[in-house]
Amino acid sequence: MNSFYMICAAIAAAAAGVLLAMLLVETLRRRRELWRNDILRRRYLHIVMFALYADDGAVPRFPMLRRAGVRLLLAETLAGVAAMTCGLDMTVLRRIVKAYGLDSWLLRRARRAQGYRRARYLALLASLPVDGAVAARVVRYGTSRNRSVRFQALLVRLAAEPMAVLRLLAEYAWPLTEAETAQIMALLRRGVLPVAYEPLVTSPSGNLRRVGLHIVRQFGIEEAEPLLLRMLADARTPELDAEALRTLCALRRPLIRREVRECVARMSASERRALIRCMVRENYSPRFLRRIFDDGECGYYETMVTTYKRCLA
Amino acid sequence: MQRILIASDDEFARELIRLALGGLGAEVRCSGCGEAMENLCARVLFDLVIVLRTAPFFCGRELIGRLRPEGLRRPAIYAVSWQQAESTVLSLLECGVDQYMTFPISLQRLRAKVADNLIRL
Repeated sequence: MNSFYMICAAIAAAAAGVLLAMLLVETLRRRRELWRNDILRRRYLHIVMFALYADDGAVPRFPMLRRAGVRLLLAETLAGVAAMTCGLDMTVLRRIVKAYGLDSWLLRRARRAQGYRRARYLALLASLPVDGAVAARVVRYGTSRNRSVRFQALLVRLAAEPMAVLRLLAEYAWPLTEAETAQIMALLRRGVLPVAYEPLVTSPSGNLRRVGLHIVRQFGIEEAEPLLLRMLADARTPELDAEALRTLCALRRPLIRREVRECVARMSASERRALIRCMVRENYSPRFLRRIFDDGECGYYETMVTTYKRCLA
Repeated sequence: MQRILIASDDEFARELIRLALGGLGAEVRCSGCGEAMENLCARVLFDLVIVLRTAPFFCGRELIGRLRPEGLRRPAIYAVSWQQAESTVLSLLECGVDQYMTFPISLQRLRAKVADNLIRL
C-alpha cells in the first residue's frame, strides 16, 4: 500500500513539475516576444521616420516581417504615426501600406475576427491611408450588431472618402455618442476631413448637426451664433438643443435671448442643472440668471460659484 | 551643445518626437514623466524640456519650479497633449509653460519652433 502511495506522490510531483516547467517556458516565451516587439516597434518607427524625411520614392524594407504578429506591429506603427501627426506627406505611408499589402491583410483579419477584435482591426485601418476600394469592402460592417464595429467601419469610409463625408455621416443611422464625435473630430484635426461648419449645423441630419456643433465649439467660431439661435428656435431635437446651448456657453455669447429662454423652459430639471454647471464653468455672471432660471436654480448656481464645487463643474 | 529633454510615459510618442528633432545639432534625451524627469533635470541643465502630457503640471508638485532653477529662464518648457480645452491651455501658460501644442502635431512646426528657441538662447 505504501509503495502505491509513493508512486502516486511521485506521479503528482512529476506532473506538477512538468506544469511548472511549461508555465516557465510560456512566461519566458511571452517575455521574449514582448522584448522583441518593443525592439521591432522602435526599429520600424525609425525606418518609417527616415523614409518620411528622405522621401526618395523607394519603399523601405522592414526586417522580420514574415514572423508571426510582426505585420500587426508595422500596421500599429504606421497607424500611430498617422494618428499622432498632421501635415505629413501621406504618399510615403500609402506606398508602404500598398507595398506590404497591409490594407488587405487587415481586412482579412477583420473578416476572420469578431466583436471588438474586429473593431480593433478596423480602427487600425481607419488610421492608415487607404483608398476607396478598401472603403467599399468595409461597407458590410456598417450594419454589424456591434456598435464599435459599425462606427469603426464608418471611420474607415470617412478616412478613405473625405469628399463623401457629409453623405456618409448623414446616412449613418445611429446617433453618434460624444466619444464617437470626438474620434471624428480627431480625423478632422489631422486634416482628413473638411472644416465647413455651416452645411453641418444647418443640416437636417442629427449626426451632421452634432459634428457641426463640435466644430463650432472646438474652433470658437463666434459667427455661428445666428445659426445656433435658429437651431434653438426650430426645436427639432431636444438633445441637440441642449448641445447648441452648451456651444453658446462655450463661445461665451450672451444668453439673454428669447430662443434661449424658450429652449431652457422646454428642458427637464436635470438638463437645466447640467446647463447651469456648464455656465458656471464658463464664468457667466449670476446677475442675469433670474430671467432664465427660477429661484432654486439661481441658488444652485450661486452655491456652485461660491464653493469649491466650481472646480468640479 | 544644447540639450533637449523629451518626457513622456508613452515610449512611442517620445521616440516619434525624438526622431522628429534629429539633426538640430542638440543633444536629445528622453525620460519618463514622473520623478525620472525631475531627477534628470536636477542633475543636468537642459535648454528645452518637452513634456508630452499635462497631468504632471496639475498634480500639485509645482513642476515648473522643480524643472527651472530659481532665477533662471532656462529650460524653456513645451507641453504637448491631446487636451484642447481653453481653460487647460490657459492654466498651463499661467503656470509657466512657454508653448502648448496639441496632438495630432505637425512635426515640421514643432521642429521649427524648437530650432527657433535654440537659436534665441
